[in-house]
Amino acid sequence: MTSAWLLRLYPAPWRERYGEEFREVLVSQRASPGLILDIFAGALDARLHPQIQQEDSKLIKGDDTMTLDMLHRCSLGGPKLSPSERRIAQRLSIISALVIAILYLVLTKIYREAPAVQAVFWTSVFFPNFIYQQTVYLKKRLWMTQALVLGAGLSAMYLFMLGVFLLAKRL
Amino acid sequence: MIRKPKDDAELDDFGRFSEPALLILVSLAEGPRHGYSMTEDIETIAGVRLGPGTLYGALARLEARGLIEPLKSEDRRNPYRLTEVGERALRTRLDSMMAVARTGQRRLAHA
Repeated sequence: MTSAWLLRLYPAPWRERYGEEFREVLVSQRASPGLILDIFAGALDARLHPQIQQEDSKLIKGDDTMTLDMLHRCSLGGPKLSPSERRIAQRLSIISALVIAILYLVLTKIYREAPAVQAVFWTSVFFPNFIYQQTVYLKKRLWMTQALVLGAGLSAMYLFMLGVFLLAKRL
Repeated sequence: MIRKPKDDAELDDFGRFSEPALLILVSLAEGPRHGYSMTEDIETIAGVRLGPGTLYGALARLEARGLIEPLKSEDRRNPYRLTEVGERALRTRLDSMMAVARTGQRRLAHA
């Protein structure tokens, strides 16, 4: 189950070519953060530097990957949303913006202008957008996938902002 | 300064995969192997256990450049073997590394 999920991080042509062998090597190794990192880095590389040449038609057929799915939807004029889905996405965006604003005010009251608080503010600028995309593009995905993508995206953004403010403080 | 021979120049384009690619070529120099067997062999000869992401990142590059090729297999895991180009690239790279090692040892002996 886990190996199948991890394998889905890779592009479809790559999975067709190396999937079975990859799975065999994967299950032979002890689970560790290093192993997970290795797989994520490999998947990113396989998407950024594809080594397998495929015909265009085959690429479109294999659009079960998130990236191709998004590109395909955008090429058709944006995501297909029903009116109720659009309402949910808009409400979630507004509610999340309010929640993050209140959180920022409370943190500022307690910790003043600490870099960690400033980073919350700047991350919050992107928060409604993350939530909206979560609702729109990942609506057919498992809730765990949605939580992972949202959590990883926001964590990366927060850490980046925190790094910027810590650096700025030293200048 | 040691000039890099042309035959192994392709390995230079592998970036972070160049060292795993070299280890894979060394492993396949003994004969065809599949992925799992390679990781075991590489751990024995170099003390490094390649993760599946790194192993198949390097394998895909080696195959795309014609340095290795898959063999037909009954099951779904393909063994790989060195091609002539791969063998030549490996020889050239090892010669180059040995020249560097000899120079380093000679200099250390006089230090």
